[in-house]
Amino acid sequence: MKNKIKVFRAMHDLTQEALANDLGVTRQTILAIEKGKYDPSLDLAFKIARYFGVSIDEIFTYDETI
Amino acid sequence: MKQNTFYILAGIVGLIEVGAFWLSVEYRMPLLITTVFIAGILLLYGTYQRITDRQVDERAVLINQKAWLATFMVFWVVFFATSLGSAGMGFGAPSFPHPPRPPDGGPGVLNESMRIPNDGLTHLGYFGYIQLTLLFLMFFLYVGFRIYYAHKYGEWETDEEQD
Repeated sequence: MKNKIKVFRAMHDLTQEALANDLGVTRQTILAIEKGKYDPSLDLAFKIARYFGVSIDEIFTYDETI
Repeated sequence: MKQNTFYILAGIVGLIEVGAFWLSVEYRMPLLITTVFIAGILLLYGTYQRITDRQVDERAVLINQKAWLATFMVFWVVFFATSLGSAGMGFGAPSFPHPPRPPDGGPGVLNESMRIPNDGLTHLGYFGYIQLTLLFLMFFLYVGFRIYYAHKYGEWETDEEQD
């Protein structure tokens, strides 16, 4: 699954640490999601989308090649 | 202190407990294992309070679950294998090779002089030490699986914020 968290973070001038603290996860989790090493749960994915005020499919896209 | 360090320490303490248990049985000193056991528990309790990376989120839970499951599967196989061995010893099964058959070619029934002594219970006790040791070695295996899955789920990925 691909995501644009890094882009949205940059748009909101947020560090991984700050985003992680606001979402109640570790910085490593944000890093792992950004790098595509870990797919977040639906719950966390919705939290991230709501945090940035967008719909979930604007941040996450399913990559059929994986 | 990291969680992995704690689990390694728990494994080491467990192995020391097994050694102390063996000594207390060999030298008939039950107070030894009692003392060492309590000291081990206190040590682990004290070090558990010093764990710094206890923040848990869904990724950490996933890593823990995967590591536990993998460890449990290995544990099941190892424990099954050692239980087979201990059952064989407990029932005093004869070991191979079997004694030779009588020269007249009769049925290979063992007479009293050829019967293998039933010392299975003694060996069973020693086998218990092996099982205990394997049990505590699982802590190291668990740490290994934790490291493997943490790596798989991006634990040590580098990025610009780490520089």
